[in-house]
Amino acid sequence: MVILTFAQADAIRIRKSLSALLLLTFTLLFPLLQQSVAGQSSAISEFRVKATFLFQFTQFVDWPTEAFSTAQTPLVIGIFGEDPFGTFLEETVRDERANGHALAVERYRRLEEVKNCHVLFVSGSEASRTGDIVTALKGRSILIVGDSNGFADRGGMIQFVTQENRIRLRINLAAARAANLTISSKLLRPATVINPGPR
Amino acid sequence: MDASERDLLAAVAISNSGLFVRLCRRLKVVASCSRIAAALTLFLVHPGLVVLPLTLSAQIQATPALKTLSVEELMNIEVTSVSKRPERLFETASAIQVITREDIRRSGAASIPEALRLASNLEVAQVDAHAWAISARGFNNTTSNKLLVLMDGRTLYTPLYAGVFWDVQDTLLEDVDRIEVISGPSATVWGANAVNGVINIITKKAKDTQGGLLSGGGGTELRGFGGARYGGGVGPDVRYRIYGKYFDRDSSVLATGQDARDSWHSGQIGFRGEWNASQADVVTLQGDLYDGAVHQLTADPIGLGGGNLMSRWEHAFSDSSDLKLQFYYDRTNRRIPASIAEGLDTYDVDLQHRFPLGQRHDMVWGVAYRLIEDDIVNPPTLAFLPPHVSRQWFSAFAQDEVAVVKDRLHVTFGTKIEHNDYTGFEFQPTARLVWKMSTQQSLWGAVSRAVRTPSRIDRELFAPRSPPFILLGSPDFHAEDVLAYELGYRGQLQQRLSLSIATFYNHYDNVRSTERTNPLLPFPVFLANRVKGESHGAELAAEYRPLESWRLRAAYSPLKLHFARKPGSTDPNPGASESHDPNHQFSLRSLLDLAAHLEFDNALRYVSRIDNQSLPAYAELDSRLGWRPSTALEISILGQNLLHRRHAEFGTLPGRREIERSASLRFVWSF
Repeated sequence: MVILTFAQADAIRIRKSLSALLLLTFTLLFPLLQQSVAGQSSAISEFRVKATFLFQFTQFVDWPTEAFSTAQTPLVIGIFGEDPFGTFLEETVRDERANGHALAVERYRRLEEVKNCHVLFVSGSEASRTGDIVTALKGRSILIVGDSNGFADRGGMIQFVTQENRIRLRINLAAARAANLTISSKLLRPATVINPGPR
Repeated sequence: MDASERDLLAAVAISNSGLFVRLCRRLKVVASCSRIAAALTLFLVHPGLVVLPLTLSAQIQATPALKTLSVEELMNIEVTSVSKRPERLFETASAIQVITREDIRRSGAASIPEALRLASNLEVAQVDAHAWAISARGFNNTTSNKLLVLMDGRTLYTPLYAGVFWDVQDTLLEDVDRIEVISGPSATVWGANAVNGVINIITKKAKDTQGGLLSGGGGTELRGFGGARYGGGVGPDVRYRIYGKYFDRDSSVLATGQDARDSWHSGQIGFRGEWNASQADVVTLQGDLYDGAVHQLTADPIGLGGGNLMSRWEHAFSDSSDLKLQFYYDRTNRRIPASIAEGLDTYDVDLQHRFPLGQRHDMVWGVAYRLIEDDIVNPPTLAFLPPHVSRQWFSAFAQDEVAVVKDRLHVTFGTKIEHNDYTGFEFQPTARLVWKMSTQQSLWGAVSRAVRTPSRIDRELFAPRSPPFILLGSPDFHAEDVLAYELGYRGQLQQRLSLSIATFYNHYDNVRSTERTNPLLPFPVFLANRVKGESHGAELAAEYRPLESWRLRAAYSPLKLHFARKPGSTDPNPGASESHDPNHQFSLRSLLDLAAHLEFDNALRYVSRIDNQSLPAYAELDSRLGWRPSTALEISILGQNLLHRRHAEFGTLPGRREIERSASLRFVWSF
């Protein structure tokens, strides 16, 4: 009987604390929401948007058939140097396809590791080596993308340029053509095209 | 103690029945009406909260939304470079392994415990047809109590023994997104019981499971199974899925080769819905109902049943700041003829908030509350007294990740403070450090404290039901604690070779012991905290990809545990009933893509002897041949435990069950 009484007392106490907790949650939440919203920029991370662009490139660039050893070969987006993306890139390309090819992400430290690669993002950490990288990959159908100053002018194919907190594209068309890559007009139209080359 | 221990295990090897009927009947019980009303209020009121933030930050968009934008629109998005990027696995300062949906598919696993065999930082042993013993870093038992297991944020926890009933934890495996397995203490963020590890089962979002799916098959052990799912939408912002599944499994065998007559079957239905209330707000509502029965050798079948309902509101302030509020209710019934019958209600509220502080700090804090109502019908042989208990837990945690050198050296400090009805306040701090040597290599270390708080078995279990007792409940049983030191390395040594090493040294204090009331007599006994122990070991895992179409994974996990009596203990075998662990585990997996859309996968595992069960070492092989003419259709033949006609993985003679070699044919069709 004593046990039963305890159990009942318990139940009442618990019911009370549950409603107290409800109240507490609500009261905690409102000021917190306001404070957080006021104190923080609502802008999206730069590299989440850049990851989305890299994905878009796989949709708007045509690679020659020889760039894929089989129809099952994945289209590989490689990151060369320090990785600024975290999981953004993996999250973006998950379950996506480009012209029937699954998408994969790889990370490289050395140029020799760049084997089966279709889009190569050259990290800011490797900015000083842009010239060497472009030379080393000459003749291979790899879309070379970067965001360091003068990247497109030094032979990179697509450069992200941040202007007024927005990302613009600068495309070196001749470099892309030399690598047998066809860039869709959907990508070219809103971009700044340098080095258009002979048609 | 052996007799009562076995009884106790029998009690706890509990398992269910007429789910709908019972659930409804339970729900009608007058006493619980007010709590049901409270639960309903929470469900109804808290999604209502989203009205508030709807207009606050329209700019925030999830990745999938970004992908649908045109190049021009993408160029007009305002970006920020200060927010923290999400961490990749290799940058985390803990021994984490992730089992992906693809890993599960290629393993042929048809249940969550089978899928957990893919994590080499766990010990996974099949006890009989339905029961499993699963733990990390030692202390394995059918009633393992040092692992925290969650499914979509819902704790799969029984207050009976502070562990998991694995036979009722299920979902459509095709809808599992990933299973994160962390070995080592993670109590700071995750909470009590995360003493030796955390298993976090995450199902896909409804928007990622649109369309239909049918799966089915059958074989010698998994005699028949079928699953169906349909995912759809209402308007542009609401996505849902509903699913159902059923399986029938054959029994295990006794060591003599006789049928153990523990065949079982279970069915489950469930749903998940998401409402993208704004670009920054997602409201999720999900739930499951299950019902099953496990046959027994000498008594009527065990009845299993239950259900859960969860609502969650997530709000993103920015890429590096978000808030999550969730509530769930879980009901579970287990009726074991000739043993106990249990009905358990769990109510849980969680709030978590993440935000950056300045340039260097990434803060997470949260509060949580849980209430359980556990009701037991005791048999004459043993009893949980009082039969009905209400228990509550309050907890709060805060953690700060400091970028000492941004993207190079990060230090994390945090603590959890928890209050429980048994032992009052418990304090669980951690300090972690990760040094990212390069894009491909990182070194990490951690020192943490975690506790395992008492459960009903520790304090309230008596045998028999009325005096004279041979096992006495122990009102003084307090928390077990661990101080853990970890050091690990992760590296991608070459494009095709990656390696991870985690090492640990754990010091345990106040471990459960069995004490005699009178040192001269074997009975009665009671449980106390008079054992201390230490463990050390490593988890080595490597992945090598010799060809684009061929992946090899190898893992080796050595483990050593040692227990000692504390002053005043009369326990004749300190730690012997707590830990049943092999000292060595080895696995090798090969995933090969062949021509003509064929996949040929093999998994070999070796588990060394479990000394205190006199259980011999064993090696077993699973093989799968899959044909996947398109991503929509998969047909596979699976052979499990092929090396021996039957083998044992856990338990002592003469009751020990053995698992038979099996084969099955399966299909999955998506449309």
